[in-house]
Amino acid sequence: MTARPPALFSRRASIGFLAVCAVLAVLPVALDLSAYVHNQLTFLFITIAGALAWNWMGGFVGQVSFGHAAMFGLGAFVAGRLMLSFHLPPPLCWLGGAVVAGVLALGAHPLLRLRGPYFSIATIGVGEAARVVFTYWEKFTGGSSGLSLPIDGDLKYQLYWWALVLAAAVAAASVAIRRSSLGLKLLAIKADVDAAADVGISATFYQDLIFVLSGAVVALSGGLYASFLSFIEPADMFGFDRSISFVLTAVIGGVGTALGPVLGAVVFVIVKTYLLASHPDLHLGLYGLLLIGVILFEPLGLTGLFRRVMRGIRRAPGTAGQVKS
Amino acid sequence: MTRLMTRGLTKRFGGLAALDGVDITLREGEILGVIGPNGAGKTTLFSLIAGSQRPTSGEILLDGRAVTGLPAHRCVRAGIVRTHQIVRPFGNLTVFENVLVAAIHSHRPGAGHARDRAVEVLEFAGLADRMGQYPATLTLAGRKRLELARALSTGPRVLLLDEVVAGVNPTEALAFAALIRRVRDERGISVVMTEHVMPAVMSLSDRVVVLDHGKQIAEGTPAEVVANPMVISAYLGTATEQAAS
Amino acid sequence: MDRLLDMALSAVLLAGLYATMAYGLGLIYGVLRVVNLAHGGVIMGGAYLGWYLHDRLGIDPYLSIPIVLVASFIVGVVMYQGLVRRLPRGPSGGPASLLLLFGVWLVLRNIAYLVFTGDDRTIRTAYSSSSVEIASSHVSVNRLVVLGLAVVIAVTLHLLLRRTQTGRAIRAVAQNADSCTLVGIDVNRIYTLTFGIGSALAGVAGVLLATLFSFSPNSGSSELLKSFVVVVLGGLGSVFGVAVAALIVATAEVFAILVLPAYLTTAVGFILLVLVLVLRPGGLFGTRVLS
Repeated sequence: MTARPPALFSRRASIGFLAVCAVLAVLPVALDLSAYVHNQLTFLFITIAGALAWNWMGGFVGQVSFGHAAMFGLGAFVAGRLMLSFHLPPPLCWLGGAVVAGVLALGAHPLLRLRGPYFSIATIGVGEAARVVFTYWEKFTGGSSGLSLPIDGDLKYQLYWWALVLAAAVAAASVAIRRSSLGLKLLAIKADVDAAADVGISATFYQDLIFVLSGAVVALSGGLYASFLSFIEPADMFGFDRSISFVLTAVIGGVGTALGPVLGAVVFVIVKTYLLASHPDLHLGLYGLLLIGVILFEPLGLTGLFRRVMRGIRRAPGTAGQVKS
Repeated sequence: MTRLMTRGLTKRFGGLAALDGVDITLREGEILGVIGPNGAGKTTLFSLIAGSQRPTSGEILLDGRAVTGLPAHRCVRAGIVRTHQIVRPFGNLTVFENVLVAAIHSHRPGAGHARDRAVEVLEFAGLADRMGQYPATLTLAGRKRLELARALSTGPRVLLLDEVVAGVNPTEALAFAALIRRVRDERGISVVMTEHVMPAVMSLSDRVVVLDHGKQIAEGTPAEVVANPMVISAYLGTATEQAAS
Repeated sequence: MDRLLDMALSAVLLAGLYATMAYGLGLIYGVLRVVNLAHGGVIMGGAYLGWYLHDRLGIDPYLSIPIVLVASFIVGVVMYQGLVRRLPRGPSGGPASLLLLFGVWLVLRNIAYLVFTGDDRTIRTAYSSSSVEIASSHVSVNRLVVLGLAVVIAVTLHLLLRRTQTGRAIRAVAQNADSCTLVGIDVNRIYTLTFGIGSALAGVAGVLLATLFSFSPNSGSSELLKSFVVVVLGGLGSVFGVAVAALIVATAEVFAILVLPAYLTTAVGFILLVLVLVLRPGGLFGTRVLS
């Protein structure tokens, strides 16, 4: 066996990935997309970024968070405030939101030592506490009236590419993490925290690291979302529904896989758009049923289904030594 | 040359002392056996040395350097690693990945690329043909070999083996015993092992320490310990108590 | 001093409700090792059922408890047999059960929303606004009844678990399910029963809640969190332990109103949860939560 590890990205996959990004980048101009579709795609890219980042925690490490809206909302409002009060260029504001969220995620360190269900329930608590606190912190968030950001048509148009870059970067990072030694360590922690420590892996360090990264990226997506909506309110940004959406996109797409959440995000946006039109009252129940279905029948969600189909088609023995989830 | 030493090592849970003032010395290149009736404190001793738990009082010294109270992952970095009584492989990783992830955090970073080391260790442990499989497909003996391989790939100076032979058939047990000897002879690792399987411990160990109710009651060569009346009564005593109740 | 007495009284009265909420969650977790994330949803469901029976059929909420009890029990049994039972057991079983029951919660929320709309509801009876004087404090009749019922429920649960054959089986399974199959206990039946009883308790807690506070389809998270805090604090060992823990939580909440601005009192439950989990990993009676 040679000493060189297999490359993180196979040549074919990298080219394919860049090709897809290139196509998406020229799509609006090439197809002369309507504003509606253009914006829906922007929203999709933002959702993809958030879902992938949630998956780093929930899928790679196995710590399921029901409170990621706290990070999302934080990113949105910090970015919004920076724009309103200091008139900084939007990308800087988004980064500001990410930095603040990252720092606060470090503060959540004690929470990260909790196991499984205790961590998850604690995140419900944190999410709801954040919502309550920020709803009433009027000076920061504008209270129930929310924050109105200056409407910038150009920015909203360009947001498409900002969001695409973010989604692409997060996707590449997801694959990189998953295939690297970092990914292996995370999986080991997910399998057995104590045994991982017994072979030298510091669970606290890596969980902190992933939590900060996950929180920062989700906050970043929140910042972009703030610019997207131009009007943000705490009840929506920090809402439980928002936290739910992260869980859903990742689980339906394939929790723990590198790119599953992308599929989940696509399904989520399509369902939301279609449902909003005809049956706005059914979305929670539908998501609940989807969750139940995934857990009971195909734990790896759409990715799992896809793999089953591919195996059925190919019927070739799987490659040994590949990282599986 | 003393590799590992404990001084007055004590662990209390509430009022109960699981381990009480234990002084153990592990010399370089030695296989030290730790025996004792159930509940004597053997696994607690391991947990303390390997960092899974913190001692209530006492010291642990590795090559003269204090490692008392270091958390498990730091102990591994320092060169102390343990296996578990009930094997705990990473079920979501292949055999190769199990060993690889341990090799990445190595005690001796210069000893070659992590992947090479993982392969080498798997060959040593006789699992080279199972690299791409998942632990669930292995027999118990296979999983115990994996546990051993994983521990070895961290490049330790001290290896704590927690009942590694228990539960496997006699042929496998013999193979394990040979493996443990090779660990000491070929890899220069000092070993502490606890076992209920007396023949294994007695034939492998250079010296033996006997624990009972958390205290050290005897120490010496296997022959000396077996003949020690206190040791005999500790084991028989337990049997007599159980018979009486 | 009067104020203090008022608050102490409030705490005791509230504790009854919290204990009742917590038993359901604790029982299921203690026996099945599953955190029932749908717990809040079942509480909400019980609240709506009680409301419906009162609003449409004129049944007094406290008298409707047997109906809600049975209905919730059935819901619990169905949840277990239909869903939880099919969960893959094992090391990765943890997040799976959480997500599954979370999905159930979402479905329950949606059903409530469709049937009852998203408006806040509460159960108002003829005596809702009446109060009784106890040691110079005015105590609402509802709260007294809730406390009384809570005590009855606690005692009944205790007797059930300690004095009946089934109760002993439940406790045995909680200790070690595998050994139980060896001695002929139908573990699956016990699991079903436990889930049913746990849900029944949650449903009843919902009715009690509905007579004291308002609720909507979105209710449930704070109830889930508080139940969880009480269970972690009180441990899984005894009905009494849970009762004491409920009292502590209720007291903390009541006195928090003194120091915290009004809007933060809703966050007290959440803050308590985080504090309890992080600072008291052993609970009061010894449950291990941290690594």
